[in-house]
Amino acid sequence: MLLASGCRKPAVETQSAVAIEYGISPQPVRVGSAILTVKLRDAAGKPVAGALVSLEANMSHPGMAPVFGEAREGAPGQYQGALDFAMPGDWVVLIHVTLRDGRKLERQASVPGVAAN
Amino acid sequence: MQVPLLRHLFHWRHLRTVLQIPLLIVSVAMILDGLLGPSLAPKNLATTLSWVHFRGALVLVLLCAGNFFCLACPFMLARNMARRFFHPRLNWPQKLRNKWLSVGLFALILFCYEEFSLWSSPWWTAWLIVAYFLAVLVVDGLFKHASFCKFVCPIGQFNFVASAISPLEVKVRDLEVCDDCGTKDCIRGRRAPGPSLVVIQRGCELALFQPLKVGNMDCTFCLDCVHACPHDNIGILSRLPASELMVDPRRSGIGRFSQRKDLAALAIVFSFGALLNAFGMVSPVYALESWLAGILHVNSKAPVLGLLFVMFLVLEPALLLGLAAWLTQIWGGSRRALVPLAVRYTYGLVPLGFGMWLAHYSFHFLTGLYTVVPVTQSAFARLGRTVFGSPRWTLLGIPMRAVQPLEVGFLVLGLAGSLLVIHQLAESDCAERPLRAFAPWAAVSVVLWLAAMWMMFQPMDMRGTFLAG
Repeated sequence: MLLASGCRKPAVETQSAVAIEYGISPQPVRVGSAILTVKLRDAAGKPVAGALVSLEANMSHPGMAPVFGEAREGAPGQYQGALDFAMPGDWVVLIHVTLRDGRKLERQASVPGVAAN
Repeated sequence: MQVPLLRHLFHWRHLRTVLQIPLLIVSVAMILDGLLGPSLAPKNLATTLSWVHFRGALVLVLLCAGNFFCLACPFMLARNMARRFFHPRLNWPQKLRNKWLSVGLFALILFCYEEFSLWSSPWWTAWLIVAYFLAVLVVDGLFKHASFCKFVCPIGQFNFVASAISPLEVKVRDLEVCDDCGTKDCIRGRRAPGPSLVVIQRGCELALFQPLKVGNMDCTFCLDCVHACPHDNIGILSRLPASELMVDPRRSGIGRFSQRKDLAALAIVFSFGALLNAFGMVSPVYALESWLAGILHVNSKAPVLGLLFVMFLVLEPALLLGLAAWLTQIWGGSRRALVPLAVRYTYGLVPLGFGMWLAHYSFHFLTGLYTVVPVTQSAFARLGRTVFGSPRWTLLGIPMRAVQPLEVGFLVLGLAGSLLVIHQLAESDCAERPLRAFAPWAAVSVVLWLAAMWMMFQPMDMRGTFLAG
């Protein structure tokens, strides 16, 4: 389900060896609320639990209002949060991750062509 | 300027350099951040300053004052520094002494803006600034005077046309003083006495002879003429905005507007390009692009965009202006031929076009006004300097609902300006039946204004490509 909806290839943070996968639903993404699911795994493929995951969505055009959200952990290593896309167009979501040991990771996810309602 | 403090300021020989230095520093910072900084446009100095703050500040200063960007142009500072070492020896080619090249470049920049989604690419934006610096250095390194400003610079051409609406103009205070002037330093400049003939003060590099100069076309507000005039007879003076569009005298360095097809083409790209540029940022454009792509059986953006540009910058103006000119001929009884008639009245659309640029750019500027703060904080933080604190990404600008009435006001002002200019042109052109000459051009203005208003209320939709969704 996670990777079936608007999925991207997993990004492996080379420094931390923590893979950040994400998915967004519903598809196609429309103006309004959307759910972003983030999955963290370590080098061995095991879920990374206990991280703080915050979301920040920006339009591709500078000067527009960013949107913020928090993702909460459901199943171990799986985090889910809502983002309220305020306007149609191309968006970029920044996934900020703070691991339990204090390390910080960031992943950039494109959400092109958010459609009008 | 009669305001004492400002008068002294504008007479200060180093004013231009002092204004250019900070802009040059900012330009270098934009290039570095664009190439080396974050790839996300809202987090980068290059994109934020270029597409939100620079454009917005530019049109608002043009509206409220004049062409002060050209005065503070950082590219010219780089040029002046380079000219300390390289002295151009060539004259700009005779065949290129017109606006056709710059009209093409202006349209090309509008095209590239859409094609490469420049607003979303710090990297492309940085390279655009680098290209600008290189172009200035090459052109003005090879050719004498201000060839780049007068014949090449697309931003300059935008400023020249838009500053027709500005309330300030560099001009002569008292023409009688000029009648008695024997040196004409305002155009010739001043040279050191003796055999060296070193230029100690430039005259106008854009070939504008002050006593015969009318309006702001081709004037970069460089103030060389102000400094050169030995009689202190040139200043930045107030005037009726758009008044220079209502008359058609022979202008120094330009000639008559009505005989300049290249200038009319510039006014067309300026006016229709304003609508096209705004149209590129609302939802219906993607439906149109998808439809055109289907007809053309293409999957790439460039051919569709190219067709849109031809439709909106060539076919639409040809149709509307041609029809209006024809109606003016048969209905208004104008004795001019069709093309000269269209050329003459095209300048009447400039206020409306400026209203659209103003509404569009001031929207981004005002709604994103404070975003420069976190972007700057972030840039300093990346350098390890936290003097400005942590980036406050929640800082935005004036709420959209407050800015929208202002946009409508700008469009109404633009329409009113166009109608006024067209009425003046009609009165001087067809003194017996001015309303009949006025009506077709007023109708064109109203049609364009309605299109602008329609666009203003469309949902904004900023996408890199219509193929994405």
